[in-house]
Amino acid sequence: MKSILSVSILSAALLMNGCDYKPRNQGKALFEKECQSCHMEKGQGLGKLFPPVANADYVVNNKTQLACLIRNGIEGQLTVNGQEYTGEMEGNLQLTEIEISNLVHYILVDLNNQKDAYQISEIKAQLELCKK
Amino acid sequence: MKQENYWKKLSLSLFLIGGVVIGCKEQSSGPLPILGPYKVQDNIVDGVLKTDTNFTTVRPFSFVDQDGNEVSHATLEGKIYVTDFFFTSCPTICPKMKQQMLRLYDDFEGNADVLFLSHSIDPKRDSVTRLHDYAEKLGISSARWHLMTGDRDSIYSMAKHYMIAAQEDKLAPGGYAHSGAFLLVDRNKQIRGIYDGTDAEDVDKLAHDINGLLNDEIHP
Repeated sequence: MKSILSVSILSAALLMNGCDYKPRNQGKALFEKECQSCHMEKGQGLGKLFPPVANADYVVNNKTQLACLIRNGIEGQLTVNGQEYTGEMEGNLQLTEIEISNLVHYILVDLNNQKDAYQISEIKAQLELCKK
Repeated sequence: MKQENYWKKLSLSLFLIGGVVIGCKEQSSGPLPILGPYKVQDNIVDGVLKTDTNFTTVRPFSFVDQDGNEVSHATLEGKIYVTDFFFTSCPTICPKMKQQMLRLYDDFEGNADVLFLSHSIDPKRDSVTRLHDYAEKLGISSARWHLMTGDRDSIYSMAKHYMIAAQEDKLAPGGYAHSGAFLLVDRNKQIRGIYDGTDAEDVDKLAHDINGLLNDEIHP
């Protein structure tokens, strides 16, 4: 009974999210929609205008802050891979916790070769700390 | 008899389809068209009727670039140039356009005959100082790539003149809606191509067409 229930929940989840649902697929799609116009298609950034988010020390060193950074944006100066950047990134208040979680997963695992990403519960806890 | 008609029709259609396919192929390496309005004029020369087609050329303008220098037709004497419309705080397609134009800028490094002209459609915020800062961060020099600002109405009417859509739009991200088009203008100030500046493949075609103009291969 339990297995039937979980199978149906799983199928329902798959139906709702399309056939190729995987955290990183949604993360990649969200990256293309929300991030790549400035951070570019491979996350490589653009000149000194937009910092890279792929193979970026700032991302790895601040991974617990990524969820909040995506949600609330950031303004001012920061240093990525030794290069200083000044500017402003708007927040993404429209993104749900699951979407932010998948986006963080994509950025950490696919763009920065990190082995582990966060569980959704961890992302929720991180977001709780920067709730506005 | 009916059967014969059928085959005739079929072979004619195949021939036509073939012609279209071949036609398409040839078009990509043929001469570039001259775009924009034109006037056809009949002249009688030595008693013989001659029909001339006069294409509109890009009209004179005067803007200021990131180093405070005037950019006008005098700057463009004998040059081929690529032009677009953007604004520095644009959160949508502009960074992509600038990435693609930067690729062209790098490709044609060392070739003083190819210039790049980007108009800001946000002259209120995009001061010379701000454009200078943007240019520096992009790593470009006004010797080949002019980021221009100027009188608001002149910029918008220039966009219209180039057949590029640009307008203020409170609902659009950043406050402006505009096309991501790149325009190619030849040494005679005639528009020779319109490309999607956000599409790498189309920008490759633009690079190919610039080379064509440089080699004078595709002059009509």
